[in-house]
Amino acid sequence: MSTALSSTETPGTWRRRGNDLVRAVADVGPLVAFRASAVRGRGRVVATTALALIVALSVFFAWLPAHLPGAGGAPGGIPQLRADEAILLMPTMYLAVLVVATISAAASGGGRELLSREQGVAFPVSPTTDHFGALLMAPLNIAWLLQCWTVLAATAFVLGPDNLLAVQAAVLVWLLLATTFAQAIAWSIELLRRRRHGIWVVRGLVAALVGLMGWLIVSDRLVEVLDQSPTLQVLLAAVNASDGRWWPWLGRVLLLLLTAVAAVVVGALLAHDLARTPVRDELKVESATYSRRANPATHAAALLRIDRAGVWRAVPLRRGFAVLALLPGLVALASALEWYMLNILPGLVASGGALLFGVNAWCLDGRGTLWRESLPVGPRLVFAVRVVVLVEVLLAATAIALVLASLRAGVPTTAQVVAVLCSSVVVTLQVVSGSMRWSVRRPFAVDLRSARATPAPPLTMVGYSTRFALVTTFTAMLFVSTSRAESWQWSVLLAAPFLLVSLLRLMRTADAWESHEVRSRVVTAVAG
Amino acid sequence: MSNLLVDVSALWVRFGLVDAVRGISLGVAAGEATALLGRNGAGKSTTMRVLAGVVPATEGAVEVAGHDVRTQTLAVKRATGYCPDVGGLVPRATPWEHLQLAARLRRMPDGWEARAQDLLERFELGAAAHRVTAGFSHGMGRRMSVVLAAFHEPAVLLLDEPFDGVDPLGVEATMDVIADARARGAAVLVSTHLRELAVQACEHAVVLRGGSAVAELAAYEMRGEEGAGVYRALLD
Repeated sequence: MSTALSSTETPGTWRRRGNDLVRAVADVGPLVAFRASAVRGRGRVVATTALALIVALSVFFAWLPAHLPGAGGAPGGIPQLRADEAILLMPTMYLAVLVVATISAAASGGGRELLSREQGVAFPVSPTTDHFGALLMAPLNIAWLLQCWTVLAATAFVLGPDNLLAVQAAVLVWLLLATTFAQAIAWSIELLRRRRHGIWVVRGLVAALVGLMGWLIVSDRLVEVLDQSPTLQVLLAAVNASDGRWWPWLGRVLLLLLTAVAAVVVGALLAHDLARTPVRDELKVESATYSRRANPATHAAALLRIDRAGVWRAVPLRRGFAVLALLPGLVALASALEWYMLNILPGLVASGGALLFGVNAWCLDGRGTLWRESLPVGPRLVFAVRVVVLVEVLLAATAIALVLASLRAGVPTTAQVVAVLCSSVVVTLQVVSGSMRWSVRRPFAVDLRSARATPAPPLTMVGYSTRFALVTTFTAMLFVSTSRAESWQWSVLLAAPFLLVSLLRLMRTADAWESHEVRSRVVTAVAG
Repeated sequence: MSNLLVDVSALWVRFGLVDAVRGISLGVAAGEATALLGRNGAGKSTTMRVLAGVVPATEGAVEVAGHDVRTQTLAVKRATGYCPDVGGLVPRATPWEHLQLAARLRRMPDGWEARAQDLLERFELGAAAHRVTAGFSHGMGRRMSVVLAAFHEPAVLLLDEPFDGVDPLGVEATMDVIADARARGAAVLVSTHLRELAVQACEHAVVLRGGSAVAELAAYEMRGEEGAGVYRALLD
């Protein structure tokens, strides 16, 4: 009997695919409900408030700037911020959304999971559902949110209040397209990484991209290239709406929308391909043989060795570290940031680094945490070693970023160097003290095995990253001021109280960790 | 004078509004092995965690190797070897790194490597000694946890579900470890769902239900079909 597909089977196949798609989309709802059910009591109130705040801030940023003096070319406003000049930057800003979304999704191995692999193993979750889940979770990322708020606010300011709803509709459709397109790119990169020698191919591509950027900068062609950005269409759609030219607006918005739908479909297909390929990164780490080292000479050395292994052998942490160490430095290098502006970098890098594992620092031990707690060692030493490991990871990433950024920053003054050094130490300790406090207060059972794993649930991560962003940016701005001072001592004087506060907070958290009750709560939560 | 190495009296452990352990009393003498049996949620693992110094007791008196768990937690940790019920291994460290950490923190004298290597071989983990444990199967993880609990020859050996998912050779090696510990005068406490293995490994059994001890009997009374009936009756 022939096994070839008959002509009558084709519609059935399409119908089946259609049914699969409908089922995959429908499965997203129960998975979201399952995740939401884990948030209870006060956590539910906080989560609802946070989501409402995100929506409220989005509306605020999309609306308010249109009514500021100088918005849309109206008279008034500050001379340094002119709408007719800012409009030239809009295509680049739209492009930046795509770049940031792509880096976020690609660095995390395809974006966030609605259900972790370990939890999802018992459920028939389709890769299409996983794809939709990743798209749904993409906005729960402070980098994505900040970019979106920036373009919404900038668009409102440059085009003013006329037909603002339609203007922002075009921008929102672009945000949808950028997110779906970024997700498809991220799946492609992950698929490439999982091929034979794929990791080296991806590294080569990244190096080539960096080289191309470098060449464009050196040859002074970057602006010329950015002027050709296809995101000009987004701006034109917004301008069409602002001018009341509805047919061109509708055409452009529909084109963006159709492209977004195409990106969703391509992303789903890639997600299916990816589900069939082995996870090369993880398998490599888990099957590798690590050479036997000499016995540690002290308790601290023994603890440090295990904790460092927990960081440097974890796929998401290694990837995250590479992105954090290189990306801000390369961006600063490309923009030729001046020395006083380099004070911004340490806060950015330290916050990002702590979000890799620091905010749930005990999760490095995973289910081994119960065994570790049964070992005869003082809790303060265990705490101190975890702090040291976190500090060294953050400072290492910060140092790489600063070295890269300093290459085109010119010759610094002593005050500028001291300000950057003080800023690095201060924000690192701020972030570490916050991370350790949250690690003790809100531990989560997390398996940092997959590149897509995060140390805490997505909404919690948004809360942590927002608080870090606010604190470290504020602190960095103070050091921007002291770097302009003639004397370097101002930076040291400024750093002293910050360091004192961070150290006091760390000591308070260490006191809490010393309590057997607190430690047992953390340990049993992390062990799962 | 009592030669009890594990002496638990009216132990209560409360997590929030839940009483995980409700007034358990038990004792294990040197050279003896006692099985903790009971359904899921009976309080077996919580009791083990208290004895290992991992979870504090809410009420009651607990002494391990003559040390009060509440006030001499570090001394208790030195005296015990604990195989936890879940995981028990740091995912991105190798078995050898686990052993190095334990040897260092337990201040084991030089030459511990030979015993560690021997145990790894007996549990057929020698070939995996330098691979991270994240890639281990469940059974391999269980076997490694038993190795870590036993390799410093503790006065009190606490094995929580040591046979769970372990192959017959691993079970045999675990039985040997229990027998060795008893022979050198250690007290052994084994928590398990596998009645027949518990009977084989231990001479006493304590059956827990709803956080309380409902029976304390000689292990042989739970042997075979008749023992299964006795055990079944105690679970309801």
